[in-house]
Amino acid sequence: MAAIIGGIGIAHTPSMGMEYDRGMRQGFDPRWAPWYEGTRPVRQWLAEMRPTQLVVVYNDHLNHFDFDAYPTLALGVGHSFRQADEGWGRRPFPDMPGAPEFGMHLATHLVRHGEFDLTVCQDLALDHGVYSWFPYLADAPWDVPVTPIAVNMIRQPLPTSSRLVKLGRALRRAVQDWETDDRVLVVSTGGMSHQISGARFGISNQTLDRYFLATLPQGLDALAAIPQEDYMRFGGTEAAELALWFVMRAALSGQARAVYDYYTFPQITGCGVLAMAEPSIESSTESARKETA
Amino acid sequence: MTADNHAAAGAPGGQAAVPAPGFDLEWPGTLVYSPRLALKGHALNKFALSLRRPENRQAFLEGPLAYMDAFGVSAHDQALVQARDWSGLLLAGGHLQAILKVAATIGQSLWHIGAHNAGMDVQTLQRACPRVVAGLPGGMR
Repeated sequence: MAAIIGGIGIAHTPSMGMEYDRGMRQGFDPRWAPWYEGTRPVRQWLAEMRPTQLVVVYNDHLNHFDFDAYPTLALGVGHSFRQADEGWGRRPFPDMPGAPEFGMHLATHLVRHGEFDLTVCQDLALDHGVYSWFPYLADAPWDVPVTPIAVNMIRQPLPTSSRLVKLGRALRRAVQDWETDDRVLVVSTGGMSHQISGARFGISNQTLDRYFLATLPQGLDALAAIPQEDYMRFGGTEAAELALWFVMRAALSGQARAVYDYYTFPQITGCGVLAMAEPSIESSTESARKETA
Repeated sequence: MTADNHAAAGAPGGQAAVPAPGFDLEWPGTLVYSPRLALKGHALNKFALSLRRPENRQAFLEGPLAYMDAFGVSAHDQALVQARDWSGLLLAGGHLQAILKVAATIGQSLWHIGAHNAGMDVQTLQRACPRVVAGLPGGMR
């Protein structure tokens, strides 16, 4: 049976991607070098975890979808996923590999058993919600298949936090019913404190972000009980995206533990990362490390 | 406050300290993107999102008014685009992520939109960021 082996919560921003490209060419801007260094341990840990499937819960920023049809919850099923053109042209990265059989299984299970009425997308272009942080954690071309789940975070009403917790739990059951030896790692990505319009542009609540990072591993229920409007008030409207991190935490067991976290605030968005592992998986990774030492 | 007097309230850079953001969700501090705004801005957003394609960006730059006409953008909203009135475009129902495509196409950035919204110039806003606040929701205290 397939198993969820761990999860990652990570921020995304367009500048994170652009600064990666510039940083690899000519060295990192001093504001972004800490993020590059701070994500290196996650990159190494991710390689050691040897996932065979990644489920990525993110939000599209009107780069694939538009308001003719903007789904609250959508799942991508396909052999590959293109990079979206956000208006400045595409960055020099290849498509991401998909896993259509696994994607179809997840969609079917989530609709039939989880009662989540997903929009199923057979062609889905991924924007900086995925492409901005991905190169920090793995070098292209990427070989581990990705199954993207897009959640509306751009137009009210947003799905509630409790609904996203349920989505995580339903995702866990769907993975456990997938009859392969797949090692599934769930990534949730949403910007931490930030607001990019209005006179509150640039709001930076590092206290809130650090509290969130420290509390999520063992305090999901408490964080999910805080009204989304409060995240928007205190962390900026786009801090509502923190609710996406609930999906990852809820997809893991109660025994899962944080193995690493890091936080910095380069410019206008709180950039945090949290890596969590299931205890059984963590110990097998450690024993493998000891054998090779 | 309307978009016009908000834009007019812009102070020249470097004179007064930039105030820390408050915790209310009202304009001009914040515009929560509602279904009402989405309905109001449908044509405007459709035009703006067409600029995700390079050939459309080229066509828009070559003839902005004819291009916007083809998408049914109102004369009022076309004037806002021509004036780079980013605050007015958001209040007209343009979603920030859509209006950002217009800014990108004409060689501006998120900072230009933010500075216009905040009533200051880009350099002042950049110097003020990150604009650190420290309040916490009740559930975190």
